[in-house]
Amino acid sequence: MRGAVLFLLVFALLPFLPLGVWRAYLLDAGVFMLLYTALALSWDLVARTGQLSLAHGAFFGLGAYGVGLLVPHVGTLPALVLGSLLAGCFALLLGSVTLRLHGLYFAIASLAFSEVLRTLALKLPFTGGPIGLAVPPAFGGGVPLAPYYLAFAVLAVAVGLSLWAERGPFRLAQAACRQSEPVARVLGVRVVRVKLLSLLLGSLVAGLAGGVYAMKALFINPYEAFSLGRAVEALVIPIFGGLYTTLGPLLGGVVLVGLEQVLRLWIQEGYLVVYGAILILVILFLPRGLLGLLGRRRG
Amino acid sequence: MELFLQTLINGLLMAGVYALVATGLALSLGVVGIVNFAHGEFLMVGAYLSYLLYAAQGVDPLLSLGLAFLAAFLVGALAYWGLIRPVLRAPELNQMLLTFGLSILLQNLALLLFGADTRVVAPPYQAATLAIGPFFLGAVPLGAFFLSLSLLLALYLFLTRAPLGLAMRAVAQNRLAPGLLGIEAERVYLLAFGLAAALAGVAGVMLSVMLYASPTVGFLFTLKSFAIVALAGLGNLRGVIPAALVLALAEALVSTYVPGGGGLVEAVFFLVLFLALVGRAWRWG
Repeated sequence: MRGAVLFLLVFALLPFLPLGVWRAYLLDAGVFMLLYTALALSWDLVARTGQLSLAHGAFFGLGAYGVGLLVPHVGTLPALVLGSLLAGCFALLLGSVTLRLHGLYFAIASLAFSEVLRTLALKLPFTGGPIGLAVPPAFGGGVPLAPYYLAFAVLAVAVGLSLWAERGPFRLAQAACRQSEPVARVLGVRVVRVKLLSLLLGSLVAGLAGGVYAMKALFINPYEAFSLGRAVEALVIPIFGGLYTTLGPLLGGVVLVGLEQVLRLWIQEGYLVVYGAILILVILFLPRGLLGLLGRRRG
Repeated sequence: MELFLQTLINGLLMAGVYALVATGLALSLGVVGIVNFAHGEFLMVGAYLSYLLYAAQGVDPLLSLGLAFLAAFLVGALAYWGLIRPVLRAPELNQMLLTFGLSILLQNLALLLFGADTRVVAPPYQAATLAIGPFFLGAVPLGAFFLSLSLLLALYLFLTRAPLGLAMRAVAQNRLAPGLLGIEAERVYLLAFGLAAALAGVAGVMLSVMLYASPTVGFLFTLKSFAIVALAGLGNLRGVIPAALVLALAEALVSTYVPGGGGLVEAVFFLVLFLALVGRAWRWG
C-alpha cells in the first residue's frame, strides 16, 4: 500500500523535477511505462482469480481502435470511456461463455480471441485495414503533457482498483477462486461472478490504457494494436515483479519497460525472446517474483 | 456441384494433418495433464529441419520425416524433463504460463535465427497432381493425408495393444492406481510428451512442403489444434478425427464460397472453438 502510493507520487512529480535535457525523453518514455504498468496491473487483477488471460493485448487494442474511431466525433474523454466500455463488452461476452468451464478453456479462448481480432481488424471495412488508422492527439493537441497525465490517471485507476481488490471480502473471494474452485463454492463464493467481475474490471483498465496509447502514438495498425507481444508484456511484468500484489506489477513495470527501451536498440525483432526466457526462469526458480526475492510476504 | 465436391476433397485432405497435430496435443493434455501452448513450436522445429536439410544438402523431405520424428521427440522429451516435470504439481496457471513462455521463446528464437520470411521446400514432385475425372488431387496433400492416417492408426494400435501404450492409457485414467501396479508415471509422461512432439514434428515436415516454414507457422496450428481438441472433448483421442474434419471442411467451404474469404479462413477456427465452448457451457452450466 505505502509502496504503491510512493510509486504514484514519483510519477506525479516527474514533470516538475529539474531533469534538464533528460526531461523530454523521460516524460515520453514515462507515458509508455505508465500505460504498460497499468496494463500489467489489470492482468494481475484477473490472474488473482486463477485465470490466465492471454487477451489483454486484445482489450488494449480494442480500446485503441475504439478511441481512434470515436475521438473525431465525440471528443477525448468520452471516447476514452467508450473505448474502454467496448473492451469491457467483449470481455463479458468472452467471459460469460468460458469462465463457467475449466480454467484452461478461458486461457485458450482468450488467446484465440486476440488472434481473431487482428484478422478482423485487417479485414473489416471501417478499420483502415492493414494500413491502419490515424488518431488525432488528445484534446486537439493543445496540452503538450496531456498524454502523460492521462496515462498517469489510468495507472492511478488501476492502482486504486487493485488496492480495493486487495482488501476486504473481495480479496478472499478471489483467493478462494484461485486456490480451489470447489472449496470456494462450498464457502458460498459466487465463483463465476467473481471471475467475471475481475475480468470486466481488468478489461476496462486495459481498454483505457489502449485508448491513451492510441492518442500518444497517433497512429495504430492491427499488427501493433493487437500484437501478441502486448499480451506477453502484460503477463511477464506481474510475474517478474510478484504475482497477486499491487507493488509487484509496479516494480516489474518500471524494471522491464526500462529494460525494453535499452533492448530495442540491440534487437529490433525478436526481443520477445528475452520475455520468454524471463517467463520460464521466473516460473521455475522465482515463483514469487522480485517481491519474493525481497522477502516480503503478502497475498 | 463439381466446385462443391472439389472443396470437400480439399478439406478432407487437410483434415489428416490437422488430426495428426491435434492428436499430439490431446495426448499431452490427456496423459500428462499439461496445456501445452508450445505444441505448435515442435511442428515449427520439424518444418525448419526439413527446410535446412533440403536447402543445405538437398535431402528429400520424405527422408526428413524420420529425422524430424526423432528430433522432435528429443526436443519434446528434453522440454518435459527440464521444464514440465518441475511444475507438474504447481498451480495450473504456472503450468500454462511456462508452456506459453516456451512458445514465445522458441518462436522468437526462430525469428532471430531465420528471419520472418516464409521458407518453402520445393522438391520436384511438389506441384504434381492426379486428375481423377473432373477433380484434381495434389500428390503432396494426398501423400500427407495417407501418412497422417497411417501414423494415427499406428498410434491407435500402440495404445490398444502394446504394454507401454496400455500403461499410457492407465496413467491418463488414474494418477495413483498405475503406480500400485508398478508403472512409473514419470517415464510414461516423458514418453507421451515426446510422442506428442514427434507427431507434430512429422506434421511440420509435411507442412514445409504443403505450406511453408516460418516462425509463426506452429502458433496457428496450436490454436487450431486447441479448437479441435475443445470440440472433441478433453483427452478424447477418438473424437479428434471427426473434429479435425469439421474444422478442415469449414475452412475449405469458407475459402471457396465467402467472397474475400482468403483472410477470413484464419478466423474460422475461432468460430468452431467458440461454438464448442458455448455448447459445453450450456450443457454443464
